[in-house]
Amino acid sequence: MEISALAAGLKPLAPEIVLLLAAAAALLVHLFGGRRGPRAAGWVSLAGMAAAGAALAGAPLSGGVFYAGSLIVDSFAVFIKLAVLAAGALTVVLSFRFFGVERYEPGEIYALLPLAMIGMTVSASTVDLISTYVAFELFAVTSYLLTGMFKKDRRSSEAGIKYFFLGTLSSGLMLLGMALVFGLTGETSYSAIARGLAAADSHFVLTGMVLFFSGLFFKAALVPFHMWAPDVYEGAPTPMTVFLSTAPKAAVFAILIRVMVGIFAGFQAQWSIILVCLAILTMFWGNLAALTQKNLKRMMAYSSIAHSGYIVIGLAAWGEPARMAVLFYVFVYVFMNAAAFGLILLVRKGEGFGEDVDSLRGLARKSPLLATAIVIVLLSLAGIPPTAGFMGKYFLFLAAVDKGLIVLALAGALNSVISLFYYFRIGRAMFMEDPAGETRLESSLPVSLVLIASALVCLVLGVVPTLLSNFAGRSVLGF
Amino acid sequence: MTLFGIPILSFITFFPLAGLVLILFLPGRKEKAVKLTAAIVAGLEFLATLYLLTGFRVGSGEMQFVERAPWIKSLGVQYLMGLDGISLLLVLLTSLLSFIAILSSWNAVKSRLKEYYVFLLLLEVGMIGVFVSLDLILFYVFWEIVLVPMYFLIGIYGGERRLYAAIKFFLYTLFGSVLMLVGILVLFSRYHTFDWTAMLAMGSILPAALQTWVFLAFFVGFAIKVPMFPFHTWLPDAHVEAPTAGSVILAGVLLKMGAYGFVRFSLPLFPEAARRFVPLVAVLALISIVYGALVSLMQKDMKRLIAYSSVSHMGFVMLGLFAMTPLAVKGAVLQMVNHGVSTGALFLIVGVLYERRHTRLISEFGGLSSRMPVYAAVFLIITMSSIGLPGLNGFIGEFMILMGVFPVNAVWTAVAATGIILGAGYMLWLYQRVMFGKLQNPANESLKDLSLREFAVFLPLLLLAFGIGIFPKPFLNVLDKPVEKVIRIVNPEFYEREAAVPTVPADAEKPVVGKGGVR
Repeated sequence: MEISALAAGLKPLAPEIVLLLAAAAALLVHLFGGRRGPRAAGWVSLAGMAAAGAALAGAPLSGGVFYAGSLIVDSFAVFIKLAVLAAGALTVVLSFRFFGVERYEPGEIYALLPLAMIGMTVSASTVDLISTYVAFELFAVTSYLLTGMFKKDRRSSEAGIKYFFLGTLSSGLMLLGMALVFGLTGETSYSAIARGLAAADSHFVLTGMVLFFSGLFFKAALVPFHMWAPDVYEGAPTPMTVFLSTAPKAAVFAILIRVMVGIFAGFQAQWSIILVCLAILTMFWGNLAALTQKNLKRMMAYSSIAHSGYIVIGLAAWGEPARMAVLFYVFVYVFMNAAAFGLILLVRKGEGFGEDVDSLRGLARKSPLLATAIVIVLLSLAGIPPTAGFMGKYFLFLAAVDKGLIVLALAGALNSVISLFYYFRIGRAMFMEDPAGETRLESSLPVSLVLIASALVCLVLGVVPTLLSNFAGRSVLGF
Repeated sequence: MTLFGIPILSFITFFPLAGLVLILFLPGRKEKAVKLTAAIVAGLEFLATLYLLTGFRVGSGEMQFVERAPWIKSLGVQYLMGLDGISLLLVLLTSLLSFIAILSSWNAVKSRLKEYYVFLLLLEVGMIGVFVSLDLILFYVFWEIVLVPMYFLIGIYGGERRLYAAIKFFLYTLFGSVLMLVGILVLFSRYHTFDWTAMLAMGSILPAALQTWVFLAFFVGFAIKVPMFPFHTWLPDAHVEAPTAGSVILAGVLLKMGAYGFVRFSLPLFPEAARRFVPLVAVLALISIVYGALVSLMQKDMKRLIAYSSVSHMGFVMLGLFAMTPLAVKGAVLQMVNHGVSTGALFLIVGVLYERRHTRLISEFGGLSSRMPVYAAVFLIITMSSIGLPGLNGFIGEFMILMGVFPVNAVWTAVAATGIILGAGYMLWLYQRVMFGKLQNPANESLKDLSLREFAVFLPLLLLAFGIGIFPKPFLNVLDKPVEKVIRIVNPEFYEREAAVPTVPADAEKPVVGKGGVR
């Protein structure tokens, strides 16, 4: 009797619990599995993510509030959780390739990944300051570890330390902002705070809001809070870069949307201006910096910064269509980014991986299928139809224009031209240049799977966007 | 109307895609099978577009064969296709030139055949789609699809500076089209639909200032594609570096997409802004005409010469469109077809020599007529068509444009006419330097004349050149009503004046307008 009541009570957290069990199981398998332990832990972790996805399918979408009003499970949360799970699964698949080649597989990451994902999936559900901060810190701390876990490469440790110091600082700022907001109202639940803030001194509210947001902006790597991102993305082991550049952003954008709507709805004029500026800065900075990069990983790091900028367009353009666009773009972005970083794992150089832009030379002759898949993803990243990337940008720009923010749409459109220039340096290398240099291309099943899956997602959602956009559209109703 | 159970416009748009998929599954080693499949697909596609004629109502200015289905329902995007006389001519031109381009590549392309034909067929999907789309987002999607295969055609199969030319082409045109995309979105924010027919039905509801901005956004997108001075700088590079088939498609169809955009979207959707910008566009068109011709005179490379001549000829088209009289607009649309025929053929002509000698420098040749008599005849006919000799197609288009522009502004007509004189200059001089004189370069001694296959490639273009030149009436009949519809929106005064004062000054143009013929 009591157990069944407990089980019913835990049901809203079913995906998170599955992930927690998977993390524990992966850790045990890694410790006691002998030489094959780490790889087996990876499979356990992957299975756990699949099971969490299945658990998600059974989640109530009614928008019920649980646990003393701290968590809400609505279809918005489910959507973000799905994106996070997809990012995690793609990461594990790419990890098989990466750590297999490097002959050094820290099995702990397969336990850390589900833990980080718990932080992110809970973030998508929080409507209370305390649970928000706890979830945020959970994925923040695990992110530092994931970055620095690859002890074989000094760049990884350096990136981990850098991420840790700057990340802690930003978490502190965010906590200060939360404290101010709490101090003004004495409440922790979003809705109660919103009621309390109506009577508060707007200077304090704005200070709190800006501090609160800056912690989130930092995690989303928006310019000028992005300084850590290129180094961390470049230094982290490539699969972790895929994870760190996608999943935390999905979580952060979820928190941002909930906070903007739930707490600071009355200050829309103020944060809208902030976000417009951030979007323009981030897009231009990311794309212009990517133009000059020779290292593929660093180039994609800047590209992923630019993509955060596109998503912020949707946050700045307030309203349901805009939030739908954000959800659509976040989901597609997970796949595009996984492929963009994943393609690096095709290039071998000596014992490890080559990271030059030119190292993909001649891929079209060696493997036309993979080259085509990569081109589709690149077109999607640049926003050329008929790809999901175009549809995402179209939704975002349309939402912006509809709110009279034509300047955002213009900036986004121009950026799409700039970005094409560096994306198609890869296209050029693959199709129009002959292999040269000390790198060699090596096909690999996990990488091929990720690339082809991503290309299919980009193509199918580009032709039939309603498959996803209808779900996304329903998810943003009823805020 | 359907074909094999599929609505006809969808069929002609996506049939090349089906062929493309088929080619993907052929083994790359079987080169002949790949070539043959591509040729058959393109040939069937041409027949399918001809089949359109059987159901086409000539006397109607409305969209025909309309297909409508929701695509992204929540955001008002539809799968909306339709075709009127203007689209019809361009669709036919596209399928014919694509077929010819594929046939002409039979021996020209030696490596990576499979991808080559895949790109050409994908290009055809995009081009046909552009001419039959009536939903602006659908139009934009096809418009952009065209860029990708063209980029690869230039970049993989092109000449020495192909990498530079390919990305320049891509970036220039993409820049224009993203501005257009923003324009489309702004339109949507006012009309709440992307449906072209619905927008026309609502009339121009944009406030004047906004209309100007949106017009400019579209203008940049289309003008880069046309290309108009000063947006033309991508064109010589792209044309010169592209493989022959790529140049044929580029000059024959891609440039028409820009002009088509003006007549289909810019003029009827933004009539007030379009009228306000007539002087600017006309001046740019005149500069294109004269500047393009002058630069052509100075070229040493045959392809570059023809590329700049395109700038000049497309200047005529733009001048005709923005004269906003029925005669000039019809002439302009017909001239799009003419230019596709003659310039497409000219690039093929250069391609024939390039395949044999691997150079396009005019100074390498001379006196070829003695070795290649059939080639000389074909070249001569096309040269005459390009410079507008009466009896050939170029004359009809240019003459109608000049006739139609004259009542609007005599000075423009005079300046434009110098373009024809200069055009005769550079084309005849080219012909003279390549074909006449003594054969001095020993490398040219053993040049072979056109093979039967090569001649067969030219034949439909020659027939069209004579056909339009001698009996243009069917082509003009098709254009009558659609063009009238555009003019009634963008320049209603024209018909009001005509109705009110049946004598002077409309007298000079009336017989022409009424019958839709020239002479």
